[in-house]
Amino acid sequence: MSRTLLIAAAVALLTLQVQAQHIAPVDTTARLASPDVVTADQMSQQQVTNPLEAINGRVAGVTIQKSNNGAAAMNAVRVRGTTSVTGGNDPLIIIDGVFGDLSTLSSIYPSDIENFTVLKDASETAQYGSRGASGVIEVTTKKGSAGRTSVTYNGSLGISRVTRNLNMLDAAGYVNAVRALGLIPIDKGCDTHWQKTIEQTALMQDHHVAFMGGGERSGYRVSLGYMDHDGVILHDKLRNLTSNMNLHQRMFGDLLTIEVGMFGNVQKNQTAVYDVQKTFYSAQAWNPTFGTERNSSGGWDGFTYANQINHPLALMDSRTRDKTTHLSTHAKLTFNLTKEWTVSLFGAYSHNEVEIAQFLPTSIWSGGKGYRSSVKTESLLGLATVAWDKTLGAHHVNVMGLSEVERDTHRGFYTTTTGFSTNAIGIDAIQSGAVTLWDGTGSFHDAPSLASFMARVAYDYQGRYSLTAALRADGTSKFGSGNKWGYFPSVSASWHLSNEAFLRGVSWLDDLKWNIGYGLAGNLGGVDSYMTQNLLVPAGIAPVGETLKVTFDELRNANPDLKWEVKRSFNTGLNAAFLGNHIIASLDFYTSKTIDMLYLYNVGVPPFSYNKLLDNLGAMRNSGVELALGFTPLTTQDMELNINANIAYQYNKLLSLSGYYNDYWLEAPGEVDMVNLNGAGFHGGNNHIVYQIVGQPLGVFYLPHCTGLKSDGAGGYVYDIADLDGSGDISIANGKDRRVCGQAMPKVLLGSNINFRYRQWDVALQINGAFGHKIYNGTALTYMNMNSLPGYNVLADAPGRNIKDQTATDYWLERGDYAHFDYLTLGWNVPLSEKTRRSISNLRLALTVNDLGTITGYSGLTPMINSSTAGGTLGVDDKNVYPVTRSYYLGVTITF
Amino acid sequence: MKRYITHLLLLSFLLPLVSCDKFLEDDPTDRIPIDEAYENVNDLWLNALGSIYENIGGSSASQGLQGTARGVWDLNTFSTDEAIIPTRGADWYDGGIWQNLFLHRFGNVDFTGDTWNYLFKQVLACNRALERIDAFSVKHPAEDVTSLRAEARALRAMFLFYAMDLYGRVPLFKNTNPTAQELKLQQRSAAFLHIVDELQAAVHDLPVDRSPRPGTNYGRMTAPVADFLLAKLLLNAEVYADDDWTDNARPDASSMMWTVDGDKMNTWQAVVYYCDLLGVYGYTLAPSFNDNFSINNEESPELIFTIPMDIYNYSNRFTQQFRSLHYNHAAALGLNGENGPCATIDAMRAFGYGKEDSDNRLYWTYYIDEVHHAKTSDPVLLDDGTPLVYYPLEAHLDVSGTPYEKTAGARMYKYEIDLASMSDGQLRRNDIVLFRYADVLLMQCEAMLRDGKAGAEADALLNAVRSRADMEPRPATLDNVLEERLLELAWEGWRRNDLIRFGRFTRPYTDRPQLDADVKGYTLVFPIPGETLTASGSTQNPGY
Repeated sequence: MSRTLLIAAAVALLTLQVQAQHIAPVDTTARLASPDVVTADQMSQQQVTNPLEAINGRVAGVTIQKSNNGAAAMNAVRVRGTTSVTGGNDPLIIIDGVFGDLSTLSSIYPSDIENFTVLKDASETAQYGSRGASGVIEVTTKKGSAGRTSVTYNGSLGISRVTRNLNMLDAAGYVNAVRALGLIPIDKGCDTHWQKTIEQTALMQDHHVAFMGGGERSGYRVSLGYMDHDGVILHDKLRNLTSNMNLHQRMFGDLLTIEVGMFGNVQKNQTAVYDVQKTFYSAQAWNPTFGTERNSSGGWDGFTYANQINHPLALMDSRTRDKTTHLSTHAKLTFNLTKEWTVSLFGAYSHNEVEIAQFLPTSIWSGGKGYRSSVKTESLLGLATVAWDKTLGAHHVNVMGLSEVERDTHRGFYTTTTGFSTNAIGIDAIQSGAVTLWDGTGSFHDAPSLASFMARVAYDYQGRYSLTAALRADGTSKFGSGNKWGYFPSVSASWHLSNEAFLRGVSWLDDLKWNIGYGLAGNLGGVDSYMTQNLLVPAGIAPVGETLKVTFDELRNANPDLKWEVKRSFNTGLNAAFLGNHIIASLDFYTSKTIDMLYLYNVGVPPFSYNKLLDNLGAMRNSGVELALGFTPLTTQDMELNINANIAYQYNKLLSLSGYYNDYWLEAPGEVDMVNLNGAGFHGGNNHIVYQIVGQPLGVFYLPHCTGLKSDGAGGYVYDIADLDGSGDISIANGKDRRVCGQAMPKVLLGSNINFRYRQWDVALQINGAFGHKIYNGTALTYMNMNSLPGYNVLADAPGRNIKDQTATDYWLERGDYAHFDYLTLGWNVPLSEKTRRSISNLRLALTVNDLGTITGYSGLTPMINSSTAGGTLGVDDKNVYPVTRSYYLGVTITF
Repeated sequence: MKRYITHLLLLSFLLPLVSCDKFLEDDPTDRIPIDEAYENVNDLWLNALGSIYENIGGSSASQGLQGTARGVWDLNTFSTDEAIIPTRGADWYDGGIWQNLFLHRFGNVDFTGDTWNYLFKQVLACNRALERIDAFSVKHPAEDVTSLRAEARALRAMFLFYAMDLYGRVPLFKNTNPTAQELKLQQRSAAFLHIVDELQAAVHDLPVDRSPRPGTNYGRMTAPVADFLLAKLLLNAEVYADDDWTDNARPDASSMMWTVDGDKMNTWQAVVYYCDLLGVYGYTLAPSFNDNFSINNEESPELIFTIPMDIYNYSNRFTQQFRSLHYNHAAALGLNGENGPCATIDAMRAFGYGKEDSDNRLYWTYYIDEVHHAKTSDPVLLDDGTPLVYYPLEAHLDVSGTPYEKTAGARMYKYEIDLASMSDGQLRRNDIVLFRYADVLLMQCEAMLRDGKAGAEADALLNAVRSRADMEPRPATLDNVLEERLLELAWEGWRRNDLIRFGRFTRPYTDRPQLDADVKGYTLVFPIPGETLTASGSTQNPGY
């Protein structure tokens, strides 16, 4: 086994064609190949919407988490943890050499992917300079190859159902509970399970057909795919049409290879969930005595005691539709000038348009709301490389130079109307709203550019020692002169111990390699165009004499000194294979320090004109150990068993958030709240749950300590809060009676999969887990508060406990550990007769169950909430969790 | 041929180098650089001063002098005996901020600093406007530049007045990038004198126009606005000249002498002078109290300074009624409501609620008892079909679990309901009243009393306000003036200022026991945000 990763990184920059040669051929041990390259064969067999889900749990140190259970939910991806607070943490995605982001991946049908390569080591990510800090995921799509032509169809049908809802009081229980409080219930006489009324059994179908073929000097592959997925919430729907085309041809002998590719898609999503929390909060807490019929005026009855929520079916009248159209074309010319010299030119153009249309009826939005927007992004990329490759006896040298330019043009507009007199029209004629407010309409444009140069030298001696050094320079239009250019050096070395004489005789050891690397990578995810300049934007309307005119103002503090956020990382690891490649193991250690970390400081007004300033002060540490193991205990003609497991331990610490900006000392307060509770009675005050605190991991729970429940003197109970600071009175403000009591991000991540084949039958099981973190059950805090009656329904357990308090304490902080059975697939490769094989070369049927179940001690709906993205929901379950679902698919693959 | 290809290819590598500098320059097309924004006098006003006016009202929390939540108005209103936001079950607990604001536990109110940031954002915008006016002055006529400068200085003085009133000590810098030294917090008395000086210097270059009337000076800082501010500042001289508000001792304003338009006079005489001046300018009481708060209140002869409101073009919000009214009541008026703030029991007693001779302004200011639909006169019903009744005397700090949880307290009326309003009733046409002439008459009356000039003239001032409300005359005494201010100016954002001047802010009243430390007076000002203290190396106000 060579150090696939390093070479994969290098090669990706060189040529796609060469890269393909480094992908391990599919054989028995392919399933146990490098842990960081996931080939089509290894991608999960579950039905997925986004290809990324197919590698979930497959690569140590890579977390892939769906943001929710909606049909069109986006994934959050973290490679070796969260390294930035403001700068963005999504890895760079490169599809066939075209740079994109996570959303670009939905333009690729999972079956079109040849492999994923996850670059996470210091020297690998450094070679992507300013964009590499959050890791890089390279996607190579399938190409035509020499040989017979073929057509492959694969398709599946599936259903998805809700398996778990919250157990709220039913109508009788609600009425009794309200009466027991001495209040008069509003009883409309029905008994409605509101959560179920907004749910449906979702149907899903997927179809994909691929044509491929080629001769000695050329090849092609063209595919079409279509997905049609309903969601489990009423009106949730996703449709995605994708197409992918790849051609290659050699000319002038072997002098020139031309590759042309194109991929694109049209994805349409529809949902009635315009606000996740409002939807589930309403469905859970709405008065269960209300009925599901419209009232005499065609609307929905209101329940005015509950003004933070709406009639759940009124919410279902809202519509949000978005449509993404993506087209990407690329071409590459590779000149093999001499045996040593290779030059390649790569150009790509992509066009992405996102249209959003939304209508909120008058029953849930004052005056109703109609909204449409369109954002177009055009991206132009040019890249040239020259490489010199020479072997002189035992010495092998490869020198490469690269230059690259990229410009992304963003254009968008939006408009909002309100004042609707009817809810009958909605999205398609938003002018049926009478009022267009000044600040509801606008357009924008920017076109940031990036230029890069890179030089790299790789040296190898006898396949035993190798050393690679690279320097990349990136320049961006986003920063002011003096800070435009960033330099990202890297160096790595490896020692292939198993090629040494002293280990050659060790028969049980097949491969052993040690590697070490160091590099710098950058991040400019949090920086937009013009942030360094004082420019005036339209700010509002002022009367000038008898007319109205628009005033221009700066609206934010410009920071002319902004620069790259830099991640310095170091890693070292061992790769080994034993016992005839029946056991493969890799062990990696990494540590990185993010410096010049971008952070949006709260600054004093004065000296600043506005109270926020983005600046490069602050530092964060990420360290971890990753272990990947693969066993093939059984390989016979009829039977094969593979067990893969990877486990990653990660540790994050916010080192500093302070420093001088010019003469001003900037310092984030000791405790900065990141996540707050929402809902009735939670507007402000001390409802902060998750904080960032210097010296702690990013995202810690910082809460008052509840020693138990105590009587409120009137038959109810309140949370008994400890006087942690010993001041004699209780204050739950920051710095007073609060303490750090756990972290939101898991310390340990586990992925494991088991494949077993017996003749034509195979079974695959994937289990993912996360451990060492906590979850704040804000849902229980809210729904256990008897004071929220009669406006808001409570959990069935609530009357028994009779808690009349919703002060946020650690009472509802729970362990978040879980092991999740991601999917189980049963496959049958239908045995085909010799005669049939002439027309059908392969026929496979598969039955898959997604989300079989979860083992956890967490008392809420599911522990699989956001535990990775440092946003407004990190670690907090707050009435915003989609119901738990399970889905079943039947799939077929036929190759002609 | 291969060689040519090689050369060509190698050359192509260098291409980016040649054009790199240009390639990496931004070319903004959706915004303008500073040097293009102030080309003519109109643009100079529009882009240097227009955006300051844009932010006298506000559309989000803590922005604007009035109309939004958690800003200047909340701090001046819900910390007093005039209004309260009871905790209503699951609603309006909000981590205890409203209870803490009412109880004067200001350290536990998490939005006090946001108002500082807003006020100084505006001060800095004024400084920036002055810098831009100076930088572009050569392009424009001198007299235009002079009046624009005066306008910016007077506006800055106004925001400093609010900051000094709320926070005590303030920095008095005049640029947009102050050093730590320039940021040092100044003693309150120094700030007070500075603000008075600035207003006196600017007022003569301001137009004498009525600001609230649509036209050239609609919503703008004019001479009467500055004169009102001078009267207000001087009336509070004993508070503002007091650098130690925790010692229960104040300087005597009768012996402070001022030069006002060339004449020497004591503080109270100066207040009377500025109040008289406003009368001379033609301000009078509107025939009806309600004219000041009607949809078309621009024409009221009483208004001195307002936040212009317009549904379609301005983003300024008016959330006071929206926050106060019961859900069903608001819906019956075509608005939305959050069922929160209401009048205190003490305020209701002052208005004579439940008595035969209750004040006429009670029903002009509040919704109480049963309420009705806007167009029909049907009673507003609760969800259970019974009529909605507001219970003014049930307004306590926490009414959760009581039968009055959702209905305790008199709700805000005062402003005519605009049936054409948008966005939950927050976008509407009634201009928001900041300064008006009834306040001037009461200030003048009070100054005379404080100057030892009780008598018929002072009585006439007080009773001018009372008789406009069809109320019986009362003798002008300080107690009567304070009560009249509660009756006339309820929910207009002056109560905290009045109570402090009368030395009654920290006294106990219904639902507000006197806090141990409160009695020392440290709660007379709010705490200053830490970021500003760090930047200037200053200390926090005492007690926080």
